[in-house]
Amino acid sequence: MTSEEIIEKVKADQGEAIDSSEVNLGDAVIFIGKGSIHGVAEYLKKDPGLDFDYLSQITGADYLNEDREPRFEVVYELHAIEKNHSIRIRVGLDEEDPTIPTVSDLWKGALYPERELFDMFGFNVEGHPNLSRLIMPEEWEGNPLRKDYPLTIEDVTFTHNREFKQDLVKSKPPTR
Amino acid sequence: MTVTEQGLLEREKDSMTLNMGPQHPSTHGVFRVVLEMDGELVDSAEPHIGFLHTGIEKTSEAKRYVHVIPMTDRLDYLSPPGNNLAFCLTVEKLLQTNVPERANYLRVIMCELARMASHLVWLATHALDIGAMTVFLYCWREREMILDLNEEISGVRMMTSYIRLGGVAQDSTPGWLQSVRKFIEYFPAKIDEYERLLTRNPIWMDRTQNIGVMSREEAINWSMSGPILRASGVKWDLRKQRPYSGYENFEFEVPTGKNGDIYDRYLVRVAELRESREIVKQALKKLPEGPYKVDDNKISLPNRKTLKSSMEALIHHFKLVSEGVSVPKGETYVPVEGPRGEVGFYIVSDGSNVPSRVKLRAPSFMAIPGMCKMMEGCFIADVVGIIGSIDIVMGEVDR
Repeated sequence: MTSEEIIEKVKADQGEAIDSSEVNLGDAVIFIGKGSIHGVAEYLKKDPGLDFDYLSQITGADYLNEDREPRFEVVYELHAIEKNHSIRIRVGLDEEDPTIPTVSDLWKGALYPERELFDMFGFNVEGHPNLSRLIMPEEWEGNPLRKDYPLTIEDVTFTHNREFKQDLVKSKPPTR
Repeated sequence: MTVTEQGLLEREKDSMTLNMGPQHPSTHGVFRVVLEMDGELVDSAEPHIGFLHTGIEKTSEAKRYVHVIPMTDRLDYLSPPGNNLAFCLTVEKLLQTNVPERANYLRVIMCELARMASHLVWLATHALDIGAMTVFLYCWREREMILDLNEEISGVRMMTSYIRLGGVAQDSTPGWLQSVRKFIEYFPAKIDEYERLLTRNPIWMDRTQNIGVMSREEAINWSMSGPILRASGVKWDLRKQRPYSGYENFEFEVPTGKNGDIYDRYLVRVAELRESREIVKQALKKLPEGPYKVDDNKISLPNRKTLKSSMEALIHHFKLVSEGVSVPKGETYVPVEGPRGEVGFYIVSDGSNVPSRVKLRAPSFMAIPGMCKMMEGCFIADVVGIIGSIDIVMGEVDR
């Protein structure tokens, strides 16, 4: 199916769950709320006409600098092996409650990327069997891929500029 | 009764916890797995990753697009051109630019050479893990030739960074093309040599057949990709399914297996060595004349000679070197077929010259949970074979 046909079909079947949709540079993209992600994912997997049996990846994005609501986004990339088409699902997550239900019961391949979301972005993936740090050490504090997590910082041992030092302390990443 | 004896009596099951890695030679880098053993059999395997975490995704958010390319080399360090290509294709898709034909052919040649080199490293180390020392030395011999070819065209043996935005770093020379031609004429006899050592070798078959089996449904559900998926009988190759960089112009087969065991993965990868060679052969034959990068001076540097005569070229040169490429706002994902499977970058651009988010979809990373599932119920000696058959590269697992 072409991207336009996929969107048309998804809209016809799951119209109330989908906020909006677009064909972005040739790819089918749907935007949905976090409440309906599991239902839509299940529909996409089990519908015989769409048959998205392969989860390519799940990733997060932080739009802090773009000043938009909601701040975070979780992106799912799905392929259909037999039918050879793809779809991208984008789910907005607000800053106060970055909780999203797991899809690892549908695709086992979601286990690791969802743990990575927890680790790198601090999203709470509800229903995940083993939600713990994956790449960073267990005792690490903070979520490195958030935009407000500094890229690098060095300890300032001595400065006359008290305010500057205080700023640094505020933005300093927790060390082990 | 001593404390130890008391402890032994209180344990429900007589199992032993065995730690393997991160410095174990067969874990291909710094992979650590904690095995719960029931005698010689593995009850459960729990992977631990992150020992090679370098923060490349975070670092990319502070680098210009052009500066990210050398970092992508370090992700899957056995096949750098594949990563360069995935990154460049994604950015080019956002820029909505098409690279010239000749650049596409050179990209394909480099990627397929890298695929061969990567599969050779895999075959060498995998065979060594299982105990076939000779294959190791033979494979290294041929890989060395590919590294020499890399050096000749890009100046670097491994981290080539040869594929750039809008084309490739520099044009090929007739001498280099001749060297590649010589290599691909020489190579098939060597693949036969490896196969003579392994394919019908009873010890090899005994150690690999019906071990680490993954069915078609499981392989799809666990998001395995590349040769592992194909060994399980799924005919899924992004070069065929989503042709990029002109792969639709080449005739090649997609080898698949039936049983999805270690032996099938071996057969699939060896067949891929031959197919890659076939693609390079066709690419050399059809290599068109023309420019090797786009003419758009907002994406690729202007010709050095024009700098002294053209003011515009000088301005473009200055702008491109000091500011870099500005990519239109948007986000996209382009998957390509790397030696290990689907490699893809999800890039979010905020319209500036620095990416807002760079995410690598790494095939090895996605394969690790499935790999640990394969280990359950197998012998401890086969764990090494299973890790080898997945061909993990920790650079792209930990990023």
